[in-house]
Amino acid sequence: MVPVSLYLTLSAVIFTIGVIGVVVRRNAIVVFMCIELMLNAVNLSFVALSQMHGELDGQISVFFVMVVAAAEAAVGLAIIISVFRSMNSIETTDTSDLRL
Amino acid sequence: MIGLFAVTALLAIVSAVSVVALKNPIHSALGLVAHLLAISAFFAMMDAHFLAAVQIIVYAGAIVVLVVFMLMLLNLKVESRTKGENVLSVLAIIAGGVFLLVAVPVVREAMDSLLVSGSAGAGGTGADMVAVEGTVEAIGRRLFTEYVFLFQASGVLLMAAIVGAVMLAKRESKPQPRELVHGES
Amino acid sequence: MGIEYLILFIEVFVVFNLAMSMSAFCTWVERKGSALIQDRIGANRAGAFFEIENPFLAKGLLTARVFGILFVLLGLSLLILQFGVVSLSGILPPQEVLGGVLIVGILLFGLSMVPFVIRGLGILGVINTLVCDAVKALTKEDFIPNGVSPIIHSLAPVLAALPIFLAFAIIPLAPEFALFGYQIRPQIAELNAGILFFLAMGSMAVYGVALAGWSSNNKFALLGSLRAAAQMISYELALGVALATAILMYGSLDLYAMVEMQGNTWGALQNPCMFIAMIIFFVAGMAETKRGPFDLPESESELVAGYFTEYSGMKFLLFWMGEFTEIALFAIVLALVFFGGWHPLPFLGDFVQFPQNHWASSLIGHMILMGKVVFFCVLQIVIRWTLPRFRYDQLMDLGWKWLLEIAFINLMVLGALRLAGWF
Repeated sequence: MVPVSLYLTLSAVIFTIGVIGVVVRRNAIVVFMCIELMLNAVNLSFVALSQMHGELDGQISVFFVMVVAAAEAAVGLAIIISVFRSMNSIETTDTSDLRL
Repeated sequence: MIGLFAVTALLAIVSAVSVVALKNPIHSALGLVAHLLAISAFFAMMDAHFLAAVQIIVYAGAIVVLVVFMLMLLNLKVESRTKGENVLSVLAIIAGGVFLLVAVPVVREAMDSLLVSGSAGAGGTGADMVAVEGTVEAIGRRLFTEYVFLFQASGVLLMAAIVGAVMLAKRESKPQPRELVHGES
Repeated sequence: MGIEYLILFIEVFVVFNLAMSMSAFCTWVERKGSALIQDRIGANRAGAFFEIENPFLAKGLLTARVFGILFVLLGLSLLILQFGVVSLSGILPPQEVLGGVLIVGILLFGLSMVPFVIRGLGILGVINTLVCDAVKALTKEDFIPNGVSPIIHSLAPVLAALPIFLAFAIIPLAPEFALFGYQIRPQIAELNAGILFFLAMGSMAVYGVALAGWSSNNKFALLGSLRAAAQMISYELALGVALATAILMYGSLDLYAMVEMQGNTWGALQNPCMFIAMIIFFVAGMAETKRGPFDLPESESELVAGYFTEYSGMKFLLFWMGEFTEIALFAIVLALVFFGGWHPLPFLGDFVQFPQNHWASSLIGHMILMGKVVFFCVLQIVIRWTLPRFRYDQLMDLGWKWLLEIAFINLMVLGALRLAGWF
């Protein structure tokens, strides 16, 4: 079997990549996808730790993370669409004004 | 097993990097799909069968499809970069590297201490995996007894999200006021 | 250790071949069946290797009938021999042997009718479909439009067809049997998640369609793929809830276990809720395959050919193949979940008992299953050529306002009834 520390290391690497993406990219949808990357990294460590402890609670947490991610996707994408309608752009730098 | 892990880990990391690095948002979304499939493969490797299936159905099958759908509708231009942003990306990568330099040894240390003290819960063996099957039956049973309140609450959350999304994305029934605003300014 | 991998390899080989040949069969039925419905002759121009007229059939039906009856007698005697050996060795009582022989006789009689069917449809459409179209597609120019990303343009047809073939991994094809001391279950993967894998693969098929339209640099293709993606996402929900009804009824996610629970009564006939779930599954499945009255993504009068307008040659054929394989996949899942799989009779399951664990009964079970699958494939194609196309708002109304609601209410009613202990 693969040791848990490898999974946790991989999770840290993916989380870091996601954070870098959120900082670097300007496209709001890509930023959203990078947030999904971070969530997935956390999910991976949840499942690995759940395996390590021999309990299912970690996997159930992952289930709820997925539910929240789905809700977040619905609302987040709707917000991005309405921003695109009023600004005609979804770049985060273009939407820094406080007026329409 | 470790070979399979290595190949999948490589796929996961490469696809995650491609999400961040590729300029075209649709290519990024495809990278994200590959990444989600790799994570699903990890879940399957760890006997979390239910999560592996749900990962594909919910993440790859619904969320990212929604993202791709929107990208197709919006028809965006490819992002262009300024010089300041290149500096920013270099700085971000350096910061991420430093974070990893801290995080990875901490993880190792924590795992080693668990191994020494042997206090890893029911498994007891610390850094090694204990076979606990994430079967549909087991997860469903826990979900509907211990976590039933959370389960119902997540249903309410989804309902609220649906209503909110519909309200946000609904087109205004009368476009005239908006035209007036544009005319004034 | 080695022999298990060999068995697995053979299973994969058989299942893949089955998927391919079902897709070829559906293509053939589509071409000749549509010709039959529209009173055309259909594809019949290709005859490369042998005489066009079958001598048996040309000399009148009498010869063919004699031939057919001889065929039936031969088959019957072989099977009586087979089952006689089985029953003499004390595995099962004689009346069950009789039941088995009856079923097999009916099957063989059906088989012997094949020459008549072939005479009706014209045998050479087969060659046209299987050989000529493939050669044509392979030798055509592989066209890639200007200003697109060639990698994604080439990736899209693969992404559209691959998940469908992968979904066959969880399909059990026959009851399990023992051969040379090995217990063989003709199912590639016995996953704990079972039918969820089928749903997962169905949702992955959206990418191929969406990317095909996006990477074609063509407005019609983009519109077609938007329509297709929206339609597939919408109907996936009703499909999933209908399957959840079946899961609630059987209490299992494994297709093999589901079939075993229909030994006495077929699933769709066990109670009204399951019947409604079956109808919802069938309609949603037809919408998932983007055919029948639901073929808006490729409606030729509005969009040139929908999302595969800009595809040619083998890539076009891959979309085509994925679509026909999906028809077969939905027919197989429908037959397994709602129509008893390899159980021959809708009721009175005890009347016919095949010997357990015997390769011959497994083969017969497979033939029964395939008979059902062929029926549902043909039914889907006949519906496709009979009903007119929906309007897009009607399609969305049907999916979101009717099928999904009915499926949810159905699921709740069945849950309440099961809680009350009725079923």
